[in-house]
Amino acid sequence: MKKYLTVFKISWARELEYRLAFFLGRSRNIIFLLLLYYVWLSLSRMTGRFAMYSADELAAYVFGAHLLRSVVFGSQTREIAWDINNGNFSNYLTHPVSHFWYMFWLQAAQRALYFLSAIFELVIFVFITKAHFFRQTQWQLLLVSILATVLASFLYFILTYVVSLSAFWSREAMGPRFLFEWILEFSSGSFFPLDILSKNLLAVFQFLPFAYLIYFPLKIYLGGWNAGQIAGGIGIQAVFIFVFAALARVVLKRGLMRYSGEGI
Amino acid sequence: MKKYFRVWKQLAVMASESYMSNRIEYGSYFLGKIIRFCFLMLMIAAIFSHTGNMAGYTKYQVIIFFLTSFLIDTLGQAAFRGVYLFREDVRQGNFDYTISKPLNSLFLVLSRLPDFLDVIFIFPLVAFLFYAFSKLDIFYNPQLLAYYPVFLMLSFLMVAGIHVISVTLTMWTMESESFIWVLRNTTFLSLFPPEVYSGSIQLFFTFVFPIIVIFAFPAKVLLGLLTLKMALVALAMTFVFFGGSLLLWKTGLKHYSSASS
Repeated sequence: MKKYLTVFKISWARELEYRLAFFLGRSRNIIFLLLLYYVWLSLSRMTGRFAMYSADELAAYVFGAHLLRSVVFGSQTREIAWDINNGNFSNYLTHPVSHFWYMFWLQAAQRALYFLSAIFELVIFVFITKAHFFRQTQWQLLLVSILATVLASFLYFILTYVVSLSAFWSREAMGPRFLFEWILEFSSGSFFPLDILSKNLLAVFQFLPFAYLIYFPLKIYLGGWNAGQIAGGIGIQAVFIFVFAALARVVLKRGLMRYSGEGI
Repeated sequence: MKKYFRVWKQLAVMASESYMSNRIEYGSYFLGKIIRFCFLMLMIAAIFSHTGNMAGYTKYQVIIFFLTSFLIDTLGQAAFRGVYLFREDVRQGNFDYTISKPLNSLFLVLSRLPDFLDVIFIFPLVAFLFYAFSKLDIFYNPQLLAYYPVFLMLSFLMVAGIHVISVTLTMWTMESESFIWVLRNTTFLSLFPPEVYSGSIQLFFTFVFPIIVIFAFPAKVLLGLLTLKMALVALAMTFVFFGGSLLLWKTGLKHYSSASS
């Protein structure tokens, strides 16, 4: 565990070393915050509601999505595919670390830093715009939504890990990753609550793992679901984590059999 | 001029060969762009399934803003993809070879990698624009249609200016490649009518970082909503912005130290 904490610390320091890149990198999330807040505000301005949400609930959803994008998606690094394509992956094979956990802790530092930055950005944003938003007061729901967020963060990491490992079979892993990220951005509910879509589309999205990354934890926070639905959703998250973790294990094992260290 | 066209043609042939040899990679990028477009359209459709207007605009007016923004972004991507390779060129010292060639170095930097995937994407975008325009409940005005490409051209010049500023900053500080990503991300703000935002944000993105001028003004012209005063402002800003970016590039080039070679 100590070595992974060291990885965490190094990754933290590395992020802070390139400060301009860090702040410019955050700009994407700040821009999405501005866009989504004002879009939903303008839609709920007339009646105080939009679809099944009050203006305060929509604001809470946008702010929550801003935080969750940071802690779940992190910096959406493409490092793993790069390492495989450039032969740097060999370094991990010769070190006494598990590549999976090494990358997990590397990205955990980025996510922690991004999360702190997102809180800071939100505080400033709310202070400037004097925005009203729904505050959940039931501590049970708060706790469960935090648990769902932690599981979402882990699920996202495993999903991207599996996609990145496709670089073992093709040098062309960046394009599929780009495609994956766009599907994920929308179907996770980071732009809008998925239940404003038609019931059929919502059913399709709920069938995919992405809806459990942003939309599900935020719906718990907003108190939109009963205990049975929450327990079912947490269970689905756990099943997806288990399935994709097993898949990652198989893909890594098979990928290593093909890996030649090309590019060193 | 003929010489530059010949060089661009050769660069385009090389880029297309690169795309053909990386079919999965570029096919996925293309599919990603289509999915992004479809999802954003889905978002607009979902919004208008619950309401009749957004900041005073109807569905097809909002779609005109969205498509115009997408079109200008795509035009910029199609023409100036080379910007994304510039940081590595400076870092590895390859930019020295660019400077030493008997061609305008800015032309080579910007047009090094024409993006055909974006060029292909332009055609359906234009078709969608015509469709959305035909759905508008306004009297057909040929003058508006004639002004629209003029304002698209002004926007294209401003986008070129932003790319020039980006490569100049990359030349100065190796970290600033992210500047172009700030622009790319900021274009998201222009997917919807500017009236969605508060007055101060509209002012900032009109006169300081002119995203609204670039992406929303052409749509406003097409909808017949741009005043003559604001049209003149757009014209003046284009000349100042584009001219300023060229001056900045020249200054940057004079101070380029070739430190990495």
